[in-house]
Amino acid sequence: MDLKRRRKIQGQIALMLSTLAALSGLFWLVFIIFDVLRHGITALNLDLFLEDPAPPGVPGGGLRNAFVGHFLITSVATIIGVPIGVLGGTFIAEYARGTKFARLVSVLSDIMVSVPSIVVGTFIYAILVKPFGHFSGWAGATALAFIMIPVVLRTTEDMLKLVPWTLREAAFALGASYFHVIKDVVYRAAATGILTGIILAIARVSGETAPLLFTSFNNSYFTLDMSEPMASLTVTIFNYAMGPYEDWHEKAWAAAFIITVGILIITLITRSIIQWRYKN
Amino acid sequence: MRRFLNLPAVDLIFALVSFSAAFTVLILILSTILVLYNESSLAIHRFGLLNFIFTVDWDPVKEVFGAAASLYGTLITTVLALSIAIPVSIGIAIFLTEISPHLLRTPIGIAIEMLAAIPSIIYGMWGLFTLAPIMADYIEPALQKVFGDIPLIGKLFEGTPMGVDLLTASIILSIMITPFIASISRDAFNLTPDLVKESAYALGATKWEVIRDVVIPYSKLGVYGGIVLALGRALGETMAVAFVLGNKHQITISLLDAAATITVTLANEFTEADTDIYLSSLFYLALILFVLSFTVLAVAKFFLLRAEKHYQR
Amino acid sequence: MVNGKTDEKVKIDVKDFSFYYAKSDKPALKNINMPVYENRITALIGPSGCGKTTLLRSFNRMHDLYPGNRYEGQILMDGKNILSDDIDLIDLRSRVGMVFQKPTPFPMSIFDNVAYGLKLRGIKNRSELEGRVEKALKQAALWDEVKDRLKDSASGLSGGQQQRLVIARALAVEPEVLLFDEPTSALDPISTSKIEELVVSLKESVTIIIVTHNMQQAARVSDYTAFMYLGELIEFNKTDIIFTSPQKKLTEDYITGRFG
Repeated sequence: MDLKRRRKIQGQIALMLSTLAALSGLFWLVFIIFDVLRHGITALNLDLFLEDPAPPGVPGGGLRNAFVGHFLITSVATIIGVPIGVLGGTFIAEYARGTKFARLVSVLSDIMVSVPSIVVGTFIYAILVKPFGHFSGWAGATALAFIMIPVVLRTTEDMLKLVPWTLREAAFALGASYFHVIKDVVYRAAATGILTGIILAIARVSGETAPLLFTSFNNSYFTLDMSEPMASLTVTIFNYAMGPYEDWHEKAWAAAFIITVGILIITLITRSIIQWRYKN
Repeated sequence: MRRFLNLPAVDLIFALVSFSAAFTVLILILSTILVLYNESSLAIHRFGLLNFIFTVDWDPVKEVFGAAASLYGTLITTVLALSIAIPVSIGIAIFLTEISPHLLRTPIGIAIEMLAAIPSIIYGMWGLFTLAPIMADYIEPALQKVFGDIPLIGKLFEGTPMGVDLLTASIILSIMITPFIASISRDAFNLTPDLVKESAYALGATKWEVIRDVVIPYSKLGVYGGIVLALGRALGETMAVAFVLGNKHQITISLLDAAATITVTLANEFTEADTDIYLSSLFYLALILFVLSFTVLAVAKFFLLRAEKHYQR
Repeated sequence: MVNGKTDEKVKIDVKDFSFYYAKSDKPALKNINMPVYENRITALIGPSGCGKTTLLRSFNRMHDLYPGNRYEGQILMDGKNILSDDIDLIDLRSRVGMVFQKPTPFPMSIFDNVAYGLKLRGIKNRSELEGRVEKALKQAALWDEVKDRLKDSASGLSGGQQQRLVIARALAVEPEVLLFDEPTSALDPISTSKIEELVVSLKESVTIIIVTHNMQQAARVSDYTAFMYLGELIEFNKTDIIFTSPQKKLTEDYITGRFG
């Protein structure tokens, strides 16, 4: 029967194309990661972590300022963003569960998760850079916190909703207030999920560049003062990669290597934690 | 409100504190719009809306600013990236749910998710150092050879292949959004009930026919949602394209020409804006981008919520 | 096995049939032997996990969808072994239709659902399609309820209507054998009795095998009954004999409700 053969051949072609698509997707992944590793590893050295940048065009030096700045900015962002996100998620998943307000906040947060991060940068510039007349680490941290809040809020909401309602009822039955039920029962039950959500949010913002471009800006000198412009790895990559010096390019690869490996490891670890936690 | 009045004091305090945290999200959105509007009011008064959108000139010296070139670049890179990424991602999703041996599904799925976790600046830098030279040396000359003599289509590939152009930027963007569409589509495909698939097989359908006629129609809302979500991301992506687009404010037919997007313009010029009207015009661009992507993302969310309801039935 | 002479024609003959699920050395079905008579309804009964659905899904080789599953022995349909490697599954499945536990309408219109199998077979002629869809819907006793809304989505139908739609879809390609896997387990009593009537009326044109966990249903609709337990066929006979004077103690215990 001719038709049947045609159907089978058509099917095989379609399945083959899908397989090719999957292979091409994997090809890019391997290509990019391999390229970053290859260029990055050769550019790695101890000076990178211990030295500050040499003057433009002069080889040598390191990115100590950027590592420290990146760490500071991300840490402050975490300190601002995580409590707001967790508490907000708690409110809409617990006290306001099922209300229109909860729904609105949840949907808007979902949208905010994907809103262009460079727009966040312009917003923070307008409220924290322009009025003070200079870029600052604080502004960068606030921009990252802005991005973090909706991410953490949504994961917290999802994780709290996974905790069975009967567990809360059991605690209520013992005469506990809602606050104590949340603190002692719900948070405990959802702890792993919330924690992995927080880690993923940190991983996500630690790779951000656009919101830092005009908030924390850049600084070729080492500083711990958050009210000054502050270097970060990502902005440094942008400036160095676009710059004219071979030595800068190498440092950009090295920084890219560290960011990529760091984020891949974090993603893998949290993934296995989630799998381990929710399989048992 | 009544549900809070009977709460004990400790609950009232905690509810109030957590409420303020949740309310922060609304404040952030509102103040973003208000602040951006306020900052761009100078440009809004000077250029208006339609005039700004349709003016190609972007001239800091003459202080004439228009969004047309940036919008055009944003549009072209997004459309091109999506038209590459959609078929590839759906192919990946089909492969992962229906073709791949079970043993490979998890590792490949993880690999795709890794690709989604890599920061966009890595894509951008890789594009500049690795992809752009490949494009300039091999792919773009080859495209010119194949299509160059064809009328109309040939116009798309005119000019000197430099690798820093619309085409390269679109390809990088497509590599970046592929994992998003692929993993959302995969999740949607996986929600097709096995029984429904089996009943198509029981009618003598081939595997491809089951995918085409049952799995894809069944999950189309979820797939649409994923695509629109990726569209929203592509519109607002900065770092993946900033390296390889050249930031040239022009509207060009050729894909082998440098261009600008809203995001690239912002990234390159924001800290250099030396006049109030220049800065205000940049804020105006940011406002347009915010409204645009917010709308697109809201549509995506609408699709995904409908898909969720659809599956629950 | 069947007591007394019978002049029924054998449609399917199961011979020394065993089945192994992937990665399992223990057979899910052990050495099954039984006939399936043409234009009769054969019921497979037994407690859950006894292998009745596994056996049913062997008749259209549904197990082939999942790699690693293994058949042993023979299932002869019209004298030809359907388990042999040279059997084309597309052909087999157009000869052996199947209806599942839950209604499984495809995400398309009522008309397109019924026409789906026909279109796969290359029938494009609109009037022929319409004629055969109408015939199948009438056979499935659904025509009067849906004839004015054939273009509507099938998901708008009630559960019982959806199940009859699925039966019409299976009938449209004019199969020789129709497999029912607990077709009423998700339905209310009224829809259930409609489906039962329908199944009985269909035996004029097709051979039917039905898996059911509801013994009354087996007694009401079937001509022959096979009782299975732990992957083995315990007893096969005319339905009235199984339900009135079973030969085996195990069968009696089961139908009198002492276990299962």
